[in-house]
Amino acid sequence: MLTNYSEHYLPNGIRLLFMPTDKFKTISMALFLHQELSPDLAARSALLPAVLEQGSRQYPDKLTLQRKLENLYGSDLAADIVKSGERHVMAFSCETPHDKYLGQNGDLLSKGMSVLGSVTGDPLTENGGFKKDYVSQEKNQLIKDIRAMLNDKGTYAYERCIALMCAGERFGTYKLGSIEDYNGIDEEALFNYYKRVFYANPLDLYVIGDLEEQEVLEAAGEAFNFSRSEEQGGLPATEVDRPVTEVRYHEESMTVNQAKLVLGFRTYTAYGDEQYCPLLVYSGILGAFPHSKLFMQVREEAGLAYYVHSRLEKHKGLMVISAGINYQDYGEARDIIDRQLEDMVSGAISDKELDNTRQGLINSLRSQQDSPARLISSHLDGSIGGRTYTAEELIAGIEAVGRPEIQAVAEKIKLDTVYVLRPGKGGDK
Amino acid sequence: MPENLRLIENRELHETLHHYRFDPGLDLYVLPRPGYQKKYAVFSTRFGSIDNRFRVDPDPTVTELPDGVAHFLEHKLFEDERGNVFDRFAALGASPNAYTSFSQTSYLFSCTANFEQSLDHLLNFVQEPYFTEQTVQKEQGIIGQEIKMYEDHPHWRVFFNLLAGLYQKHPARNDIAGTVESISKITPELLYRCYNTFYHPSNMAVFVIGDLDPEQVGRQVEANLSGRGYGSMGKIVRLFPEEPAEINRQKTVQELVVSEPIIFIGFKDNGVTKLDSSSLMRRELLMELVLDILFGSSEKLYNDLYRENLIDENFGAEFAADNNYAYAMIGGETRDPDQLYQRVLEAVREFKKEGISDEQFERHRRKILGGYIRRFNSLEFIANNYLAYRFRGNEMFDLPSLLQDVKKEEAVRVAEENLDPSYHALSLVMPPQED
Repeated sequence: MLTNYSEHYLPNGIRLLFMPTDKFKTISMALFLHQELSPDLAARSALLPAVLEQGSRQYPDKLTLQRKLENLYGSDLAADIVKSGERHVMAFSCETPHDKYLGQNGDLLSKGMSVLGSVTGDPLTENGGFKKDYVSQEKNQLIKDIRAMLNDKGTYAYERCIALMCAGERFGTYKLGSIEDYNGIDEEALFNYYKRVFYANPLDLYVIGDLEEQEVLEAAGEAFNFSRSEEQGGLPATEVDRPVTEVRYHEESMTVNQAKLVLGFRTYTAYGDEQYCPLLVYSGILGAFPHSKLFMQVREEAGLAYYVHSRLEKHKGLMVISAGINYQDYGEARDIIDRQLEDMVSGAISDKELDNTRQGLINSLRSQQDSPARLISSHLDGSIGGRTYTAEELIAGIEAVGRPEIQAVAEKIKLDTVYVLRPGKGGDK
Repeated sequence: MPENLRLIENRELHETLHHYRFDPGLDLYVLPRPGYQKKYAVFSTRFGSIDNRFRVDPDPTVTELPDGVAHFLEHKLFEDERGNVFDRFAALGASPNAYTSFSQTSYLFSCTANFEQSLDHLLNFVQEPYFTEQTVQKEQGIIGQEIKMYEDHPHWRVFFNLLAGLYQKHPARNDIAGTVESISKITPELLYRCYNTFYHPSNMAVFVIGDLDPEQVGRQVEANLSGRGYGSMGKIVRLFPEEPAEINRQKTVQELVVSEPIIFIGFKDNGVTKLDSSSLMRRELLMELVLDILFGSSEKLYNDLYRENLIDENFGAEFAADNNYAYAMIGGETRDPDQLYQRVLEAVREFKKEGISDEQFERHRRKILGGYIRRFNSLEFIANNYLAYRFRGNEMFDLPSLLQDVKKEEAVRVAEENLDPSYHALSLVMPPQED
């Protein structure tokens, strides 16, 4: 019923994961380059996809590249950086419509793959480095993006909480690094970094669409023919066992209307752990759904918030509760939230909450099968977390979770950091 | 084939849509999607934030609403005598949601099991209102927080400030959720009056998509409607103020905590009120092409601005159109809003001199077609947008053939008319001035 990938290796060692399916109107291709998340490397890893996306030897500037993509029926090329646990993944993707909906064979698989191959494997260089203009331009853009974190107050509060909570851990690194880190990077250093990581770091290519295995292997082999190291270095695992000595409280004021409350917890449970499914159910009952305790109590009963939820950072084993409230309601909101957490520990969970949450999680897992992007990201989680689950395995795991398993998870969870962004003077630096 | 069934084919996309019409005037659309796990249904009414003055034929009494009623009603339908509607969806493993736009309110769910029960549940809760003083009061607190959240949202603010600059009277200038003050005037009686007008099946439609048998869905929806005792409804007359051609104010500036200024430039389309719905859809598509040719990432202007660090990847342009208002909007975050503003206006002037090349027109046409096909992966995209087009009087599946049909000369003409600097406004969000 649920489709899975077939795994192949290209001649240069790139792992290819192919899923044949006629469900979608598209051909989806995505290449992921794995790197460790670390404060020393973060800016370079963020800058690299941004620079590569500006142009390649074959399509030397953005204008030429975009025109090529438009002629391939608006194929979408994207380059991005993803922070997932203490892994930093450079992501390059190309999505084209499938030829059969265009009434002609436009050979969009091999053409799209070739653009992706060109941008990642055959970059534009000058004097032994990347093009200088592109590097300085993208440094400016990324510095701007780091500053722009401030513009969405919810995201800003979340990132501030993580940075404060995980200061001194690799996970405390922002996905774009810090502004100062960009000063030291020039076009030559970045090009050397490019050569090193594309040569030696793990590289996964995903393809999903109504395609034959043979044509995919050929198109991929041709597009990604750069040489690679036979030995691939391993990447360090994400640290999930940092103890909490005392709860830290941070407050910051800014000229805003609504206060943002963010609570950071350590669950001591990572993606590959036996307790991962119980953790999913735990967070589901507490705050992942509109039927969850937080939504029901903080919003529906008390009317204190429009949004209130818990989210997991599944690889780092963190749980974060976020809410937008009136600052003067802070005490009441905290009391209600704390009571929900206590109920989780004492097992005060109704059959309905348990059953609804299991069903909600299963619904979400099955729905993944209908989106190429989610099919890819869920498999990628397996590579990052060191354990690949099929959808069926996770569903069976969730079905097996009962109160004792949830309480066992609840007892391990520790509040680490409270962050409050409150209305007041500030934010104008 | 039953009398009340019509098939709508799209050859390009290999889709066949089943359209049923049930008494007393409800439209049901079912699109089978074999192989999909998810099933998605949306139940929409043509009642949005701009419908704030109306009467129902033949009664001459005009009802005027405070801002934010359609959105408030959306929130309140999730509660009924038996309690919280979310809970019963959750018991079925279905995921519900709802949203309110300028011109419609939609209730929806997605599920991978228990579809029939979930669909019944959707149809039931939307058709069974329950408003009391107490629940209305509690919701004022929740929506108050929603409004505050948007007050801190710079892109939302810059957008509504632009609309308030473009329009003197048209209700599109008001925030969809209203204000803390306007929603304080909402009462259960007012909600019932709006409900009884706009939630009559003849003003509503259902779209269902997934691995489903259309006939069976048809039977289910028909059965759900029958026995509810709906009478016939007079025509809803939506009253809009006469909107002058002139804009309201040229420039709006608001200070918010942002990393750098945000600017949106808008052009008011004064021709749109005279158009029938098919001309409207054509105009919208032409404007989409024109704006992409003018401001898209494959063209010189975008690349110059990007190189000069005046824009980032989020810079963009779009055209929004409904039956009685339309505008083009261009903008993004920038270090130098004055310069970006000048460059946009200059580009509009240049465009009128230089026009469009055949190569450009064809390339952008391909891009829009491909983008449209790619979006057809998403059940949500299809269902939500289909009904928005439907309520406007358009058939969304016509887009690919319309795209083949439009001519470059038309695009130039429409742009001339639309991008008229005499009817433009700008909206700025600026970081706080240092003391």
